[in-house]
Amino acid sequence: MIYLDSAATSLVKPLSVGREMLRAMRSCASPGRGGHEPAMCAAETVYRCRETAARLFNVPDPERVVLTMNATHGLNLAIRSLVKPGTRVLISGYEHNSVTRPLHLLGAEILVAESPLFDQDAALEAFRARLADAELVVCTHVSNVFGFILPVYELAGLCREYTVPLIVDASQSAGILDVDFTRLGAAFVAMPGHKGLLGPQGTGLLLCGREGEPLLAGGSGSDSREQTMPDWLPDRLEAGTHNVPGAAGLTAGMQYVLERGTSSIAAHEQTLLAELTERLSALDGVEVFAGPTGTQSGVLSFRLRDFDCEEAAQLLTSHGVCVRSGLHCAPLAHRSAGTLETGTIRASLSPFTSAAELSRFVGILGELLRRIR
Amino acid sequence: MRYLILCRSLTYAQRAAAVLERRGIDAPIIKAPLRLREYGCGYALSVTRRFPEAVALLKKNHLLTGRLYSRSDEGEYREVTELDLP
Repeated sequence: MIYLDSAATSLVKPLSVGREMLRAMRSCASPGRGGHEPAMCAAETVYRCRETAARLFNVPDPERVVLTMNATHGLNLAIRSLVKPGTRVLISGYEHNSVTRPLHLLGAEILVAESPLFDQDAALEAFRARLADAELVVCTHVSNVFGFILPVYELAGLCREYTVPLIVDASQSAGILDVDFTRLGAAFVAMPGHKGLLGPQGTGLLLCGREGEPLLAGGSGSDSREQTMPDWLPDRLEAGTHNVPGAAGLTAGMQYVLERGTSSIAAHEQTLLAELTERLSALDGVEVFAGPTGTQSGVLSFRLRDFDCEEAAQLLTSHGVCVRSGLHCAPLAHRSAGTLETGTIRASLSPFTSAAELSRFVGILGELLRRIR
Repeated sequence: MRYLILCRSLTYAQRAAAVLERRGIDAPIIKAPLRLREYGCGYALSVTRRFPEAVALLKKNHLLTGRLYSRSDEGEYREVTELDLP
């Protein structure tokens, strides 16, 4: 099998991830509830997850790291905290449905900073042109469809200039690019645990620059007589029993990222991306969406002339190649790139993808194209 | 004599314990006695040595978020204020 769908979920994980999850499953109870050894073991496990995340993302205090189920959960928490019906929210043209759907649900007035694919300057200008009208900005760091790296640090500077809060969706950048919470100065940064952070599914993190409003209310293990959620983090946003084995696995994934370093991971993916782009572009009838150096992460979309992307992906699946096809839950990104009608096939890389795997993938695709035509 | 430093939350207790541990002060986290918690369940640090120093350290790190108590050998709790500390 050749797995090229890490932008959805990284499949190959460091061995320590599973090992830590098993340890937590066998020895941890629930944090913040009891005072006995298994409860305190769980508390230590969860706290280590917050501390590790704080180190990786330069968060000043571990309590600002809220554990979530995934990035969608974190984005819903962040958006619900800052959006009321009619709030004018400025977003990039490359947002995922995990941003646009909550905004629609809450009745926000959505303004789109439209810009061409892989043009970072144009993206920034599009935001600048509409920032005076905005009460909130939500921007993805990297497009999940095209790997387009949005200039979030420059955008954060603009938001400070206009005193507009910023929410960053780091779903495709956490664990791969530098995500510096303090430098961003964002109200919230949301990310999944199961992609670039190499943790298990069902984990995620919300880095909080402010307290936020709960999505769920319930037990927090603190101030139980009060019938409102605590007004401090992380308890305010974490009702109910934690996913302790998930937190243990996520910590192990983040430790791997810390040890290898995001710059090393990004460099590995950039080398493979360049090779994949060149080889796919050489195939007849393949349109590759590639950006200039520094504008694209290890996510690459392409489409085939006169061939449906879903059918092509199905054919690839039958030859052991795992890619993602269709609209990738991001119709806005496809609209911005002009691929809304056709969709694309997406190949995404991980720290464990090898050049040999990409070579086999291109060989299989080339052979399929020859047979079809 | 044992002292309890009540904490706002488990996470704060863990941060506080880590700060003290770095300075060689042992402060295990325990469930706070319910009668000491006006609003219900919570956690505390249990300190038997270098209590004044522990309080000063936590204050400096903005981690002093709850009341302080001394516990006698008979199990009686008495609130301690910073003014009581040497």
